[in-house]
Amino acid sequence: MKAKLIGRTSVRDNIRLSENPSYPVFRELYEKQKKAVWFPEELNIQQDALDYHHLLPDEKDLFDTAVGYFSSSELLVQNVLVNAFFPLLTDPHAKMSFSAQLFMENIHSDFFESVLQSFGMDHKAMYEVAFSNPFLRKKQSLIVEEIDKISYGQINPDTLQGQKQILRAILLNNIVLEGIFFYSSFAHFFALKEMGKMKNVASGVELVLIDESLHLQNGIEAILIMLEESPEIVDDEEFVEEIRAVVLKGLQLELDYIRSKFGQRSLLGMSYPELEKYLKYITDRRLTELGFEAEFNISENPLRFLQKEDVKKLINFFEVSSTEYTNY
Amino acid sequence: MQRTVIKRDGKKERFRTQKIINTIFEIIKGMDVEDDYELVFRIIKELDLKVPEKVTTEELDLLVLKAIEHLIPKHPVYDTLATLQLLKLINKRVDRRFKSFQAYLKYSVGAGFLKEDLLRFNLSELEEAIDYKNDQLLDYFGLTTLRDRYLSKDQEQEVIEKPQWFFMRVAMGIGNNEQEIKAVYEKMSRLEYLHSTPTLFNSGTTVSQYSSCYVNVVDDSLEGITNKLTETAFLAKYAGGVGTDVSRVRATGSHIHSLNARSSGVIPFLKVFDTMVNSIQQGGRRRSSQVISIQPWHYDIEAFLELRETTGNAYFRTPSLNTKLWMPDEIMRRIENDEPVYLFDPGECPELVTATGEDFSEKYNARIQQAEAGKMKLYKKIGGRDFFSKYLFKLAKTGHPWLTFKDRHNRHNPCPQYSIINSSNLCTEISIPNTPESTAVCTLASINLERHINSERTGFDWEKLAETVQIMVRALDNILDKNFYPSEAARKNTMDLRPLGIGIMGFAAALIELGVAYDSDKAVETARSLGAFLKEQAYKTSEKLADERGAFRHYDEMKKAGNGYDYPPRRNAVLMAIAPTATISIIAGTTSSVDSYFSNLYSRDTLSGKYIVINKQLIRALELKGHWNDEMADRIKRNNGSVQNLEGLKELIDMDWFKTAYEVHPNRQIDIAAAFQESVDQAVSKSIYIDEQLRPEMEKIYLYAWKKQLKSTYYCFIDKVIKGEKYTSQVNKRGSRKGFGQRKEKAPDESAANRKEVYGTRTVQEILELEAREKYGNQVVDEVMNSKGESCPTDPLLAKLCPSCE
Repeated sequence: MKAKLIGRTSVRDNIRLSENPSYPVFRELYEKQKKAVWFPEELNIQQDALDYHHLLPDEKDLFDTAVGYFSSSELLVQNVLVNAFFPLLTDPHAKMSFSAQLFMENIHSDFFESVLQSFGMDHKAMYEVAFSNPFLRKKQSLIVEEIDKISYGQINPDTLQGQKQILRAILLNNIVLEGIFFYSSFAHFFALKEMGKMKNVASGVELVLIDESLHLQNGIEAILIMLEESPEIVDDEEFVEEIRAVVLKGLQLELDYIRSKFGQRSLLGMSYPELEKYLKYITDRRLTELGFEAEFNISENPLRFLQKEDVKKLINFFEVSSTEYTNY
Repeated sequence: MQRTVIKRDGKKERFRTQKIINTIFEIIKGMDVEDDYELVFRIIKELDLKVPEKVTTEELDLLVLKAIEHLIPKHPVYDTLATLQLLKLINKRVDRRFKSFQAYLKYSVGAGFLKEDLLRFNLSELEEAIDYKNDQLLDYFGLTTLRDRYLSKDQEQEVIEKPQWFFMRVAMGIGNNEQEIKAVYEKMSRLEYLHSTPTLFNSGTTVSQYSSCYVNVVDDSLEGITNKLTETAFLAKYAGGVGTDVSRVRATGSHIHSLNARSSGVIPFLKVFDTMVNSIQQGGRRRSSQVISIQPWHYDIEAFLELRETTGNAYFRTPSLNTKLWMPDEIMRRIENDEPVYLFDPGECPELVTATGEDFSEKYNARIQQAEAGKMKLYKKIGGRDFFSKYLFKLAKTGHPWLTFKDRHNRHNPCPQYSIINSSNLCTEISIPNTPESTAVCTLASINLERHINSERTGFDWEKLAETVQIMVRALDNILDKNFYPSEAARKNTMDLRPLGIGIMGFAAALIELGVAYDSDKAVETARSLGAFLKEQAYKTSEKLADERGAFRHYDEMKKAGNGYDYPPRRNAVLMAIAPTATISIIAGTTSSVDSYFSNLYSRDTLSGKYIVINKQLIRALELKGHWNDEMADRIKRNNGSVQNLEGLKELIDMDWFKTAYEVHPNRQIDIAAAFQESVDQAVSKSIYIDEQLRPEMEKIYLYAWKKQLKSTYYCFIDKVIKGEKYTSQVNKRGSRKGFGQRKEKAPDESAANRKEVYGTRTVQEILELEAREKYGNQVVDEVMNSKGESCPTDPLLAKLCPSCE
């Protein structure tokens, strides 16, 4: 029987790259990620220091929380990859692709760490915010608790039950965390940039966004491959509904968090209803990417300023760090 | 949701859509709009989500503006609307403080923002000359840029200047009398030409620093280095970019006589410049900038190429400096023939620094012979092609160093007896003789070619062009005497040579107006004849000025010494320089410099934030054929702003007119710059746009640039391969795979069959309906949909919002 993407592994296995990879898509994704590599030193974050100290209290709170949230979440993703996924990945190309992701998460940690240091932010409080803020804690718990279940060899990947649990964990990490939670916070940075504030940090976040969209692809591919290799998974109606529900649960937790920050006000030119619609739009996208039907059928991204991220960029080099140079 | 508006006096009021609708109709009034209900509906729809439960009137004004702004990529009419709304906001605030231009002037002089001597002019006469109708020539991106950075503000950062007051204030800082002021004002206010950013910032103000660029030369001594460090600090504080040549500074391992020790070379000193530039804010408005230039035979060149790398020893990295090569022909020739390139220490061979052309070749070859004979203390030999390909790799990777050509610059030096030209400025368009004691300064202004098309649109309006150039020469020459010079070396150079920099912008946009493709021989021809005409006009005016005001000092001095130059006396040693016009082309609402459209749809990162720029000429062309709509806008967006591969467009428009920067072969880009360069006495700053696929040909492209006699190249843009997931367009990552959808296929169950399959096949009507159901509930939508004749003919759902149906 052909080995599956997810299974038992030992250090003796998978130490040979094949010219005809079993999963060519991971070789492609590895190549793409390789070309996207960047370093925090390319950005002149220090230039934003003046801006930072002139942020309004609400803007500063939003910025700080987003930076703090990313700082610890990037490390969380690294933990998940190393502790939970790697022991289960049977394919060397897939491993390379996820290692590339792991390395990029390092870069992101490094980047957010340098943001923390550049503006003299409260280092300890920032790393704790993901757990001290009750709304963020719920988001983190959703991920952490599920990953715990598949860590330390607690499950048997050769059983259907094991495959299901792993799939759920990948979904939470790569789709819910990186594909919904992160996308929510991205919008805050871009909204700041839209207002002409924190432009160099936002340039870094643009690079993070490019990376995360590749990481999402890693997760989607892994999930779609698992479903192809174990079609029985989809036969379990209850499980399929549960997966859909978990994506929507993630959305709900994110909306609760946004509501707690925005309330009745509009901040950075955005209001809660607008962000709600945006997150539903993103969630629909995640659902359909996995083959689900859309839940909200929102056809347009309401945060119009994000279309500026979609088109070619021309930079005035004297004013803003460029994110357009190739690194290889 | 019950929403409340908090008014300026603190009173609360219920938020009413009707009121906003009226406001928007108020703005539209007088505009030629095809379907104003549709327009208002879309804005309201956009706004609806933005308005929170509690909002102040000021916030509401801004939210309306944002709502309109976000629709700009859909149609230029929203651009006009957003501009009008922003103008209204600016004017409302300024009017609250000043009842007239004169009142503003007097306040600003009193507050110490403007120079007192502006009040000596006949203010009523000038106030009368102000034409507020010209506000309408500005587009939204231009006006936002003006508001954020150019319009004067008081200490609380509140705008105190209307756009037309701004143009008049700038003109008053330039003209010597009312007539000159009015001429400059009219030209700028009609966006026919604009002065460079430092002039627009500082003209008429107590800062009075008008110049864009400075080019200084570092001598090979500790004193020379620290002196230039100090000069650079002051230039950077008040001025535009600083170019600094360090070719004279001795190399690593070179002998220092006074200490009997070995030098650590030029690189560690650059770190000092780097740190300093990073710590100085230019005029408080943007970070200061500097370019370091070096001749490529310098022994430390290999480390120089690495300066902008992001990894490695931090002491040998200069993230805040730009870098540039000052390349002699002899080295290019060696690269072309793959002959070895020798690196020397300028401490040992100082004669190489100042030698140019054949003289350089001879001296360089003499040193090579000595080296081969074992008579040189310090030298290194590397393969010509190897060196070049290593250099180009760094250029593609880090964007630096740029390539400029030493001998091309010097061949056209009008004042060789003054000195050689020791490198160019930050944007590479300056070519003025300079020395360690004489720092080159250039004051720039650029013609907007798009506003110089004749009324039949068959060609340029040559008479108007001539008039513009004449006004520009006088204006720029005036500035030289009013300018504040941050260093004595800078004043000396200007007083000796009186250099001006007249450039252009909107070349690509003008070509489209004339129906000429940028990527064509005709475009090159146009560039050639335009350049020649502008030069002729500029020189004629400068010669006339010499009659009135005298020739530049160095010219007279040489004549007196019996060593006169063989050209007729003129006021200015050089007059033309084509700058990149990055920001002033935004104000003028046209394409920058001699570049093509970057893309038909792209975003620009600026200090004011990020803006979407859309090729209005393309929209106009498609609209004429009735083919501009949301779907077309989205198709262009999905294609990264390119129209070349869009099906069905060939039949509608001439696709060649709308090629994007990467779609025009670099050789053609070079041809156009070279055609201008034939007449431009300083240089053309030319960025090169290279498609990823042409990357293996970079060597050929840059050799071509050298052969075509370009003096300078500037940024090398290479299309980025890896892009983020599209945020606002549908993306299919799943392909044809079913994922979790498999189950449904296998056994369609009840719930799936009942739920109407809508994804992917919905019409606009259905989407609208769904959204409306979500927003207003089923009952309202059903009512509207069943109400037949009573609803709006264009959109049944409009009934809920459209004032005509309310």
